[in-house]
Amino acid sequence: MTDTTPKGFTIPIGPQHPALKEPGHFRFTVDGEIVTRAYVRLGYAHRGIEKAAEERNYIQDLYLLERVCGICSHIHALAYSLAVEQLANVQAPPRAQAIRVLVAELERIHSHFLWMGVSAHEAGFDTLFMYSWRDREQVMDILESLTGNRVNYSANLLGGVKFDVGREQAAQILLSLDYLEERARHYLNVLSKDAMFLQRTRGIGVMTRAQAEVMGAVGPTARASNVPRDLRVTAPYAAYPEFPVKMILDDRGDLEARFEVRMHELFESIRVIRRILNEMPETELVARMPRRIPVGEAVVRLEAPRGEVFYYIRGDGTDKPERLKVRTPTICNLNSVVRLVVGHQLADVPMILAGIDPCFSCNDRMVQVEQAHNGTERTMTWSELRQHGIDFYSRSSR
Amino acid sequence: MSRPRPERLDVKVKEIKQLLPIIVGLRVKRLGYLSAIVGVDLGVEANEIEVIYYFCPESAVIALRVRVPRQGATLASLSDVIPSAEVFERELREMFGIEITGLHTTDHLYLPDDWPDGVYPLRRDFDSAAIAGAGEKV
Repeated sequence: MTDTTPKGFTIPIGPQHPALKEPGHFRFTVDGEIVTRAYVRLGYAHRGIEKAAEERNYIQDLYLLERVCGICSHIHALAYSLAVEQLANVQAPPRAQAIRVLVAELERIHSHFLWMGVSAHEAGFDTLFMYSWRDREQVMDILESLTGNRVNYSANLLGGVKFDVGREQAAQILLSLDYLEERARHYLNVLSKDAMFLQRTRGIGVMTRAQAEVMGAVGPTARASNVPRDLRVTAPYAAYPEFPVKMILDDRGDLEARFEVRMHELFESIRVIRRILNEMPETELVARMPRRIPVGEAVVRLEAPRGEVFYYIRGDGTDKPERLKVRTPTICNLNSVVRLVVGHQLADVPMILAGIDPCFSCNDRMVQVEQAHNGTERTMTWSELRQHGIDFYSRSSR
Repeated sequence: MSRPRPERLDVKVKEIKQLLPIIVGLRVKRLGYLSAIVGVDLGVEANEIEVIYYFCPESAVIALRVRVPRQGATLASLSDVIPSAEVFERELREMFGIEITGLHTTDHLYLPDDWPDGVYPLRRDFDSAAIAGAGEKV
């Protein structure tokens, strides 16, 4: 490791911890309570998916790539399908595109509810964590009733989708949406009014618009800093031209803004899903794909729950892609967060990390506190660091 | 290009040293943000690696393409102009073996610390036998 010899304490966090789709390792150098330096190391769950995709055919890759992420799996399959369709010069029928957007928005609801719970947990607000995950089951049930799976829905085919949405199913979904909307309104109220919670979010982790632009932040993290980056609006794909969404922006750039942007996005998702269910175009579900995918390059950018997903595919005329590149939103946001925590209290680190919504996979994470001067070290678990944050704020609020 | 699409701009940068001024220009004009850097090994015969820098202003996509030899290639880091470039460059370095000058850290980003030197997994001629037994020592 090259960037050692720090002054003060260096606190390694992870690798078994704050998620992404891979566990990551962070090292924070602190001067007292203030973080003076941050470092990130990834790759603990590097599975070589890009290489694996080059060795499988186009059909197999659809299933492989859906497993890039367990939370936003649909968006990866969708990005891949759209890219291959672009290479083959095929357009999926309008009903298929509408169903793709329907599932993508349901996935966004499930992802945002999940994130809200995890972030609340990091702040010590476990009641909200429990409630939001209970309500998330509603959307998981919808996804299961539509696709047969709670995760890795496998909704896409090259050229279309696998299933249709019937009238009865639509009626059932609309009922669940009413419930989810009411709950989301309640949570927004709690998150924007609860004084204890606001203490953990208001004015914390502020990222200005200029910073967000330079650091390449994407998704709700960027939009909470007033950066108008939402590909559903700026570069609509699939059925978004027919079913537009509104871009949610906030100019405060702190954690509170990141919460509110995501909550307002929930209402937008619910609104769009209702419209799709009521105005679903009547067409086929699948377009015919050629057997051979022609030579060419395709770039597809989609708006995942966490931000822009970037897919690059180069076809060489065989049944396998010559090169496939996936760039997920977390890598962009991680960049910004690693710079953002510098100057903040150590106690705020869990919240700021959670604030960008890295996919949380492991809950209990090892934190090692090592004293740089004399080499002694002390080991904390992530839950102890989290507790440290909660205690720090409950002390200071007295 | 066989089937051009709207809102795509494809630029072949002939000389590597022209790349940085172009990117500084994009940055100054606030033309998009760096969405990704993609490396493509063109194979042992071509003996070149194509590096594509994708800049995305709103719905458009600007691709800057530069070709480097497979052996001894060096590119200048963009991280002083665009801090977010660093992760993509570290990836390029460890996956394709392109030396990047001006990086703040040259640690592995994705690959294990004990990954053998000179083995680049996203190259065409990567042989998994080269890493047999790696990762077993703790």
